[in-house]
Amino acid sequence: MAEAITAAARARATCSEHRAEASPEIAAQGLSKRFGERTVLSGVSFTVRRGEVVALIGANGAGKSTLLRCLVPLVEPDESDAMVLGAPTRALGPRALRRLRARVGVVFQKHNLVPRLSVLTNVLHGALGRSGLAAAHAATAPGALREEALRCLERVGLAGLARQRADTLSGGQSQRVAIARALMQRPAALLADEPVASLDPAAGEEVMALFSALAREDGLTLLFTTHSMAHAAGYADRVIGLRAGRIALEERARPGLPPALERFFV
Amino acid sequence: MSEPRTALPPRFERPGPLAFLAWVLGLGLVVVSFRGVGFSAPTFVEGLPQMGRFAAGLFPPSLERIGPVLDALAETFQMAVAGTAIGVLVSIPLAVLSARHLSPHPIVRFAARGLVSFFRTVPDLIWAVFCVVTVGLGPFAGTLALIVDTAGICRRFVAEAMEEAERGPQEAPAALGARPAAVIACAVLPSAMPAMVATSLFSLEKATRSSVVLGLVGAGGIGNELEVALTFFNYQEAATIILAIFVLVLAVEQAAGALRQRIIA
Repeated sequence: MAEAITAAARARATCSEHRAEASPEIAAQGLSKRFGERTVLSGVSFTVRRGEVVALIGANGAGKSTLLRCLVPLVEPDESDAMVLGAPTRALGPRALRRLRARVGVVFQKHNLVPRLSVLTNVLHGALGRSGLAAAHAATAPGALREEALRCLERVGLAGLARQRADTLSGGQSQRVAIARALMQRPAALLADEPVASLDPAAGEEVMALFSALAREDGLTLLFTTHSMAHAAGYADRVIGLRAGRIALEERARPGLPPALERFFV
Repeated sequence: MSEPRTALPPRFERPGPLAFLAWVLGLGLVVVSFRGVGFSAPTFVEGLPQMGRFAAGLFPPSLERIGPVLDALAETFQMAVAGTAIGVLVSIPLAVLSARHLSPHPIVRFAARGLVSFFRTVPDLIWAVFCVVTVGLGPFAGTLALIVDTAGICRRFVAEAMEEAERGPQEAPAALGARPAAVIACAVLPSAMPAMVATSLFSLEKATRSSVVLGLVGAGGIGNELEVALTFFNYQEAATIILAIFVLVLAVEQAAGALRQRIIA
């Protein structure tokens, strides 16, 4: 684990100067969301630059998942001036919103694969946004799409399981397939909602290292939520802490950071 | 000092006034119904010898027209298969329109549910009469009636399966920019598939039984043969037809049951 984190930190350092000049890929201004009487997010403002890896930390109920969902937006924020990949999300019509979503990969905590379908078909679904129903099933997809899906599976090391049904995979394999599906989108940015929360520590470490390496290789912007201080400090360029729906910390990730983050989980 | 013992609850709770009234009304309805239908055990017992004579007249079953009977049996099964296949296909869009989270608008959902409730409320025998009037006597009319009946049954179960399907796999394609139709095709239908197949097999069993009755109004199948045999008091041939129907229904039920087990497992 330590080696993976060190490698990630080294790779980050080489790009940090370039990122400081890069334009924001994700920007939220005064993002607020209430569910009934409960305020989940209150005036959240932040930016994520192109190619930057940002960890979002906070206790359960702090609003991390809702914040990610408001960006795509799978949840409609009450107030927000969010810009994702240069598009103002609130002003987008259904078609423009689908186009934006097609370029933002979302990786869910529970992976959200379709259990009865093959691994290859699940990865192909990543192209639904740009190719429509042509990417619906491995049996009917054009050869080029099938080939691309297999390449995405190769990148996560699971090409050998292409024909296997998704509900026969282990948790770690399942999350790798979800990452391959996100890569199939040819995304400009990735949002990951506690991508390793449902995995055992070893599988979680593997998935996190893979995630970080892929994001670096492709120069992707990555915003992930986590409960692991080690992952936040080790894999991110920057850490944003949420408490009760407000941003309470924003710091560059560094090795000495973890103890300072403890307070976000109490 | 020992704590006072808690009294054991009574075996039966005393009903409240409304519950008591409901019990009285319910029992009254049962008694009135028995009187209304002229239910009489002595009449039934007195009639048993006649039933025996009728049953004796059925034996031995006549194999004289076994060829046409088997042809009609095959036609019955074909009606059931064709009616079920098209009925299930028709039920899928209706189910999508009436599933709470997939319907484009509450009015559309209400209209789809209302239409299908109407399909199901009208007995299949009446649909068969309508279809005979429309396309003439024969198995095509029966198949059309079975389509209406099957679509009505399957719409409900398929819509429920879609509503109960896990939401996560449906959220994923929506999050990556898929159109609603693609979300349904790629996530909703595969998740609802076991329930859809189980419902389709159940519908096939029901359609097999129904297609026998539909023949009585001229909508094809072995029901026509049964009606003719009974009309001309040819009870031994009727016995052959009844046995053939029994074997077909049993075979379909067993095969469907085995398939259902396999698919659900």
